Parts: sequence; structure tokens; C-alpha cells
Amino acid sequence: MKSLNSIYELHKKLEDDQIIIAYEGELNPQITNSVLALTEKNLDKKIPTTQARRKAFHIAVECLQNISTHSEKIEKYPNSIFLIGQEGDEFFVSSGNVINSDKVGSLQRRLDQINNLDKEGLKQLHMQVIKESLLKQESSNAGLGLISIARKSGKKIGYQFVEMDSENSFFSFQASFLKEPEAV
Amino acid sequence: MENLIRIGSPETPDISLNPILGRLEFSGKSLPEDSATFFKPVLAWIDEYLAEPVSNTEIEIKLDYFNTSTSLVLMKVFNKFQEKENVVVHWYHFPEDEDMLESGKEFQVLSKLNFEYHEFH
Repeated sequence: MKSLNSIYELHKKLEDDQIIIAYEGELNPQITNSVLALTEKNLDKKIPTTQARRKAFHIAVECLQNISTHSEKIEKYPNSIFLIGQEGDEFFVSSGNVINSDKVGSLQRRLDQINNLDKEGLKQLHMQVIKESLLKQESSNAGLGLISIARKSGKKIGYQFVEMDSENSFFSFQASFLKEPEAV
Repeated sequence: MENLIRIGSPETPDISLNPILGRLEFSGKSLPEDSATFFKPVLAWIDEYLAEPVSNTEIEIKLDYFNTSTSLVLMKVFNKFQEKENVVVHWYHFPEDEDMLESGKEFQVLSKLNFEYHEFH
């Protein structure tokens, strides 16, 4: 039997980290909707300002739908993790999911491209991707979710890849934003 | 030609498309993961409407939230009205929601349609 102490310890750890919502498990479209409904409720309770709540929700939607839409189902590792929390003067949205290692390179290039752009550059890229989507038949959004997250966050996206076995890597992702918008 | 009416859900907007009034209204939240499939009937309705549009068309976007998947569909909707006459997009946003206002302005640049901005009350 699992040590009963570990339940308390996990609870305490999540409390200490001021976690607003945490989910560990499969992410399919249906579960994603349920997690989002719960996320919205918790954000309403725990984030006082409308603007910060909107930001957190927006980033959460794109983050969860990215995982649910793009991650091919890897039978060996069906589970993903998703959390929203706060640290200091920031809120953060984090996720982790397993991807095929041969996708690491292109995802990393896309994230680096986004992280190298300033506010105006992200706006231009966002508009360009929307415009180009008109020419495409399929509904693939070519990283629009990531661009949108970067625009909402106003900070660099944090990411890491950890090799799990010869074929699969764990993709950790984090977008944070200031609780109070910076004075201009 | 018939109205197209959809009642919203937590993930999808209220939709009301009226060919007699030339009025297309979207309100609420729109975050379907697969927006292309969800909005397919809307795009088909617009194609039919554009074969015989009334003299003035008003597109009302009263969304308080939409995901990026929906933004691709909105672009398709606006694009269908390009080079049509007497089309106005009424873009609503909450007073403090500057991102939503900016998003409207970006769609205005991309679509070259006539946009009017309104605040929710």
C-alpha cells in the first residue's frame, strides 16, 4: 500500500507552490474541455483581476489544445501533466507531454524563432500565419497557438526536452506573465 | 434561404445568421478544439447567402473569448466578404480588454473590411 504520508506531502507541496489547478492524465478533446471548465472555475476564485484571469485562461486553452491536437498518442506514455500556479509576482501555466523524439528539432526551432521575436515581431508573425492559413485546405494552425501564448505572456517561453527512451522525449513547457501589468 | 441558429455551449458560441436582415451574429465564447468542423455549416451558409445577398450585410462579433482555432475560421468568414459592397463588421470588446480590441484591428488590416468598434455594456 502507498504510504498515507505521501498523500499529505503531495497536498502540502501543491499548497506551498500555490497551485491553482493541477491535472495528470490523458488529454483528449473531451477531457480537455472538462479540465478547461474546472480551470475557469478555479481561476475565477483565485485570480482577482479580470485581465490576469483572461490571460491565464487564454494560455491554458492553447496549451491544452496543443497537447490534445498535436501529440500523437504514444501508448507507452499516455499521460500528460498540466498546471497553473503562481510564484512571486508571476502566474505560470506549465505542461508536460511525451512526443516522438524526431519532432524535437522542429519544435525547438519554432520555439526559438518565437522567443527571438519582440512584441511587434510576434504580432507580424501572428498576422502572417492567419493570412497564410487561407491558402491551406487543412486546418493545421502552424504554431499559431504558441505564437498567441507568447503574445499573451509577454515573456520568453520556457521549455525543455528530456530523452525518455530511444524514441520518445518529454516536452516541458512553461509560459508565465506578470500578475500586475507593467506600467508603461 | 433559412436562418441558421445555434445555441451556445461552454465551448461554442451562440450563432444567428439571418439572410433576410443580412445579419450574422456570433456571441459568447468560442473555443472548440476543431473549429474547422464546428463552423463548416456557417461557411456553407455564407456561400449560399453570397449568391444573393441583401443590400447591407452586418457581421456582429460579440465574442468575449475565442481560441486561435476560431481565429482561423473568423479570417475565412471575413475573407468571403472581401470585395463585396456594404459590409460592416461590428466588433465588440469589454472596455478593459485591449487584446480583444487589438485583435479586431488586426482582422481589419487582414480583411480590409469596414470595422466598427463597440464596447460591451
